[in-house]
Amino acid sequence: MKRQGCREWIVGLAALVALGAASPATAAEKTLEIGVLGPLSGGAAAYGVELVRGAEMRADEINKAGGLKVGGDVYRIKLITYDHKASAADAATAANKLVFQDKVKYIIGNAVGATCNAVQTVTEPQKVMFAFVCWGTKNLGPDKPYSFRSMLSQWEAAEPFYRWMKEKRPNIKKVAVISPNDTSGLDTNTAVVKAAKGLGFDVVADETYERGTKDFYPILTKMLAKKPDLLDVAAAPPGEAGLILKQAVELGFKGAKGWTAGVNPATLINVAGQEAAEGVWSPVNVNVKSDFVDPKVRKFGEEYEKRYKEVPGVIAVANYGAFDVFTKAMQEAGSVETEKVLAALTSRPYDTVWGKLVIGAKETYGIDRQFLYPVVISEIRGGKAVDIEQVLPAALKALKK
Amino acid sequence: MPIELLVQALLNGFALALVYVLVALGLTLIFSILEIINFAHGEFYMLGGYATYFGFALFGLPYFPTLLLAIVVVGLAGVVAERMIFRHLRGKTLNAFIVSLGLLWVLQSGAQLSFGVLDKSVPSAFSGIIRAGGIIISVERFVVVLAAVGLIAVLYAFLQWSRVGRAMRAVAQDADGAALQGVNIEFVSMLGFAIGCALAGAAGGLLAPVFAVSPAMGALPVVKAFIIIIVGGMGSLPGAVLGGLLLGTVEGIGSLFFGSAAVNVLGFLMVIAVLLVRPRGLFGVA
Amino acid sequence: MLPSPALRRALTGYGLLAVASLGLPLVTRDSYYVDVATTILMNLVLTMSLRLEMSTGQLNMAHISFLGIGAYASTLLVMRGGYSFWVTLWLAGLAAAAFAVPIGSLALRVTGPYYFLISFAFSEVVRLIFNNFFVGWFGGPSGLVQIPKPDPLRLPGVELTFVSKVELYYLMAVLLLLAAAVLVRVDYSRFGLLANAIRQGDLLAETLGVWVFRYKLTAFVLGSFMAGLAGAFFAHSHQVLHSSDFGLEPMVLLVVFTVIGGTGSVWGPVVGTVTLTIVSEFMREFHYYEILLYGGVLILAMLLVPEGLISVPGRLARLWRRRPGAETMGVGVAP
Repeated sequence: MKRQGCREWIVGLAALVALGAASPATAAEKTLEIGVLGPLSGGAAAYGVELVRGAEMRADEINKAGGLKVGGDVYRIKLITYDHKASAADAATAANKLVFQDKVKYIIGNAVGATCNAVQTVTEPQKVMFAFVCWGTKNLGPDKPYSFRSMLSQWEAAEPFYRWMKEKRPNIKKVAVISPNDTSGLDTNTAVVKAAKGLGFDVVADETYERGTKDFYPILTKMLAKKPDLLDVAAAPPGEAGLILKQAVELGFKGAKGWTAGVNPATLINVAGQEAAEGVWSPVNVNVKSDFVDPKVRKFGEEYEKRYKEVPGVIAVANYGAFDVFTKAMQEAGSVETEKVLAALTSRPYDTVWGKLVIGAKETYGIDRQFLYPVVISEIRGGKAVDIEQVLPAALKALKK
Repeated sequence: MPIELLVQALLNGFALALVYVLVALGLTLIFSILEIINFAHGEFYMLGGYATYFGFALFGLPYFPTLLLAIVVVGLAGVVAERMIFRHLRGKTLNAFIVSLGLLWVLQSGAQLSFGVLDKSVPSAFSGIIRAGGIIISVERFVVVLAAVGLIAVLYAFLQWSRVGRAMRAVAQDADGAALQGVNIEFVSMLGFAIGCALAGAAGGLLAPVFAVSPAMGALPVVKAFIIIIVGGMGSLPGAVLGGLLLGTVEGIGSLFFGSAAVNVLGFLMVIAVLLVRPRGLFGVA
Repeated sequence: MLPSPALRRALTGYGLLAVASLGLPLVTRDSYYVDVATTILMNLVLTMSLRLEMSTGQLNMAHISFLGIGAYASTLLVMRGGYSFWVTLWLAGLAAAAFAVPIGSLALRVTGPYYFLISFAFSEVVRLIFNNFFVGWFGGPSGLVQIPKPDPLRLPGVELTFVSKVELYYLMAVLLLLAAAVLVRVDYSRFGLLANAIRQGDLLAETLGVWVFRYKLTAFVLGSFMAGLAGAFFAHSHQVLHSSDFGLEPMVLLVVFTVIGGTGSVWGPVVGTVTLTIVSEFMREFHYYEILLYGGVLILAMLLVPEGLISVPGRLARLWRRRPGAETMGVGVAP
């Protein structure tokens, strides 16, 4: 009795499996697995989460439109995401898993300086395309042809920012800059100091702090004693930048405020309070609601907010844009093989969410691997970031000529 | 170096250190009663911050009642943690350390998943700036200092003069002896843990408007708390206050001359120096 | 003379370790698995040596700093001094041991939670030095990159270039087996017995004539030497060094592995490290929930198995002996 029932079960099961296997997969439908890495927990989680969401939005859009058509095939995009907890060793292991187990050939998205270098030890030998937002000069170079930075770094932003300041706000002579004391922070300070000094500004303070600091009174007391005209919170993340400005105002600072690496004005305004955030200039942040950005960015912002209930920062847009560029290059190359796609990626402008985008910056890194798009200077007025000017990075400017 | 700058630096250092003293007191209380080091202590600070955020920023309740509510909520969370987890680990310092680490991860991730990763700001309950000579302190911070001092005084009074408080001190000195005298160890442990967590929660609630809240906000205060109680001596209330003042001095003055990394090193060097001279901390009990 | 069962246990344990570690590449050559396995082996050196130090009753939170000292020492000697990895490997261990002497001498003056915290203070000082000072040497917050792999080794009949993961794996396996041999030998020797006595009560041991401080320091220096060796391997296999690799987070993981495995036996860390690494890799699939679940695992493990995983077979055996119907004569029954 029992045995018979068992046999029926097995037959039924086998039928189901057979059905499943024969289900509507068109002859050329394939899956393209793309990896995303980032810190999804701990203090830097905001960056990782934005990376993943930016990727998700583009992947979902492509899939909903029927998939990515490359050559004669249609690919369904599948994202594989891992949390590297801001640890370089963990990032290397996660990258190993992505490359050797999950067999991805594209890792689009990573943040936190040291982890990028660690991931590169895995991706470069295996010719895996790697796009990240990590800052620092060590992670792009002719010896790393498969690595790209999808977001403007301090090197691309500092010079146009301070050039604009010199031309349009000539009353600023003395500059004080502060960043966290990690790779991004130190590099940013270096870039800012270099740009500022090169343009004739007097850099009166160049300070760094330990990430996670909340009390900036001591360091601000020291900096403000030098009476700067401009306080640049450079590479401080939104929460900390907000605190620095709030406390600076409490300590009596009445000068101009800059945020060379500002990536999320909403949080800064929230934390600093309207008064302290008033007048903050930023060349890198993207206000997805402003009039100066491409309408596609605004649309992205609206959909992101609808889906995730939080306003996106530049990292989400950058990763979304990176997805854009790579998938377009795949289509141009007619293949998903990274060598061919690499050859198809050129310096001619791409049409992306940012508007026109160019891959360049050979003069800084020795190879064109930096995404360049217009720098929009924004100023926070009345609790909102208002774009006031568009400045082109030197490389983009040269191209337009 | 103008004298005002020095005084301002000292003031900055002290104001913040006092709040960290609250956190440290909670930690040392738990250690003295249960003999465990609760690595997750910073997460109760974080919970206090979020509780204040919800009450004050979202529901618009007035600040001080919200703070009291936050203290109670975090205290209750402490009771739950003690009953379910730490009660079984009395005296097992190493295991408690691992468990508290697990709890830290659970609470921090839980907060991130529930509240989101971005910093949330809490509006200032008090605005304005007080100036005296060239010295500046915001009203907000001044209130924080007063509240911290008040809480420390209340704790001291409780431990010195109330029956339960004396029972706690008895257990801290000698649990077996106290049990023989008829003290209910279970109850005292539970209450002690709850009060310890409540102190951390109070600190979190006090600093929420000053610094904003985020899931990882508990990481730094707990390290400062450790420095304070080691320097002051584990299990000693006056030690914790003194340790806090020392840390405030070192960090406040240090920041004038050195960069932040060096200041952090100074804090740790202070710990090492004190321990080498007095292996139990300044006022530590054996 | 050692009782036979103990010696048998020691040799069996070691034998299993040797077979498992040397045999793994025969089972799989998948890069990811080999990579994870290599990390496990390296962590085994670290946790087993940590356990040696803990066997005298002290939790050394600066253990990871010696991994770092070894790593940076070997890197600098190779990249600036032009030495061969095969020399710097041992120099790294010696460098770590050299620093361990003063640090240990100072730290071991205190005990219990004070030792825990003073060692933590030392570890933060070291980490901050790596991160912010002597930037020309240590690379500051950017760290060091492009560290070369170990120099090729010419053995009779074969040349190992250490470009492939499998070759690096075997290198680590050999290092582990060397370290484990020393640690097992020490544990089952007089030193092990004395360490046990010290852990159970410093004062008591002292009254019995044991030079407590010396034993603790020896354990500390030996453990640090091994961490230094592991550090050299770490540097030249990862090729990237950053101060965060030697901070609180990785140290805490080592402690977790060791305690969950069980500090009572020299094999405890082996069980803990292998089990938890596999569990955490498996949990990578859960991304946002990974840390949450891991925390839950820790809490449950410590509450359910306070002596560590290594005690599970013992407990099961005792339960088995007590089952209804089993012969109970001689098992705790008074004559």
